[in-house]
Amino acid sequence: MTSTALNSVSHVARRYWAVALVVAGWQIWVSAAGLSSIVLPGPLAVLRDFVGDPLSYAAPAGRTFIVAIVGLLLGFTLGGALAVLSWSSRLLNGLLTPLGLIFTSIPVVTLIPIIARLLGYDVRTVIAIVALICFFPAFVYVGAGLRALPPGSDDLFRVFGGSRRQRFLRLVLPSSVPNLMLAFRLTAPEAVLAAVVAEFLMGTDGLGYMFRKAAGEFDTERALATSLIATITSVACFGLALAAERRVLRRWT
Amino acid sequence: MTSARSQSLMLGLIGVLVFLATWEVIGTYRLAGLTWPPLSTVLAFLSTPAKLPLFGRAAAATFTSVGIGYLCGGFGGLVLALVSHLIAPVRPGLDRLIAVIHAVPSIALAPLLIVLASADVTPPIISGLGVGYIFYVAATSGLATAGASHRDLFAVLGAGRLSTALRLDLPSALPAIASAMKLSVPIAFIGAIIGEWFGASRGLGLLIVSAMQNFQIPLLWSAVLITAVASLSMFALFSLLERLVQERMR
Repeated sequence: MTSTALNSVSHVARRYWAVALVVAGWQIWVSAAGLSSIVLPGPLAVLRDFVGDPLSYAAPAGRTFIVAIVGLLLGFTLGGALAVLSWSSRLLNGLLTPLGLIFTSIPVVTLIPIIARLLGYDVRTVIAIVALICFFPAFVYVGAGLRALPPGSDDLFRVFGGSRRQRFLRLVLPSSVPNLMLAFRLTAPEAVLAAVVAEFLMGTDGLGYMFRKAAGEFDTERALATSLIATITSVACFGLALAAERRVLRRWT
Repeated sequence: MTSARSQSLMLGLIGVLVFLATWEVIGTYRLAGLTWPPLSTVLAFLSTPAKLPLFGRAAAATFTSVGIGYLCGGFGGLVLALVSHLIAPVRPGLDRLIAVIHAVPSIALAPLLIVLASADVTPPIISGLGVGYIFYVAATSGLATAGASHRDLFAVLGAGRLSTALRLDLPSALPAIASAMKLSVPIAFIGAIIGEWFGASRGLGLLIVSAMQNFQIPLLWSAVLITAVASLSMFALFSLLERLVQERMR
């Protein structure tokens, strides 16, 4: 019993020593230099602010989380649908692939101000931005998955006279699922961060707005606690996507 | 084979042209309202001689940030990856630290950096952190790709840890590093632009955000277009390099 406890402690220590070192260094530096909490509060002060009033963070965090998930699903639906369309038509594939490549190689975040101007400053714009940022990875990865079939399987379907429709439903679509889940895991944390940036720039609601307000009032403790929550939300999204990926892959293979 | 390739190249070219034409049509007929200018207006605005110094100064500032962030981030990521490769016990800790730093939203880092350092070093630092993450992840997985038989040969011939790392692991990590060079280009630009959104004194990011707030639509689109084209060309250059490395290493 004690040995398992000891094991898990050393397991955690092996993984988190560097993070702990940075946090401890931060606290020591703040105390030693006697920095004002407006400039930079220590991690303890940030934690105290959060523990003192966790409910005031819950609502914005929840809203950001929901906006990120809705945008993520929207972007993946559109990206996946377009990838399937471009699989089914060589013409469409030729027309769309370079655009997919172009949009993955430019900083999509710089489009946020343009979309904000186009759609207005409200929650729909935040969702649209998250969807746009998730759209291109979904399009590119699902597209690659639709083409990367297990070796020989396509020949097998042809030999047995499978129709195009059967080939698509039974072979091509299933073989793209691992890629879809990989794109999902890579994009989920980015979706939260994109939502936070959009909320920060447009100032309507959610963690980004809360952060902007706190920073504007020089409430640095609250601002840092907000970014801590944003980080945790982003990591939680990654964890959920990873769990979903493992679950789907276990069923799939 | 070549005809299929040139055909897909043709289709791609047509696709891009259709995209640009759609942009022009939507802008000309105001299908998306006043905030969507036609491409020709944006290009005309960009090529006005009076605007050149403005764009020149902003672009120079942003590209300097991107360059510094890219070099420092890439080098730092590689060095950390080598350290975690050579000293196995530190690896889990370093992996977590880098994942946690990466998960901190850049809007949270930017104001901190502005207080601690200054507004003008914030863009390269945020850019460097993003680039460093990509390089670290790619290099740590690339360094582990050397084949077991090569490893045995090095061990039999009595190579030390360091010389194995430099002569076997590093060369076999080159394709992964070349991919990281390509993939971190847009990240470097995003970092610099977000960094500039927090009160840098010049740069394309500043131009973008002030144009958004002041409803200067052609200026907004022009600054975004410059950023996109710069990122795209650097990405294309590194894609070529990546292909060369992959062909050489095969």
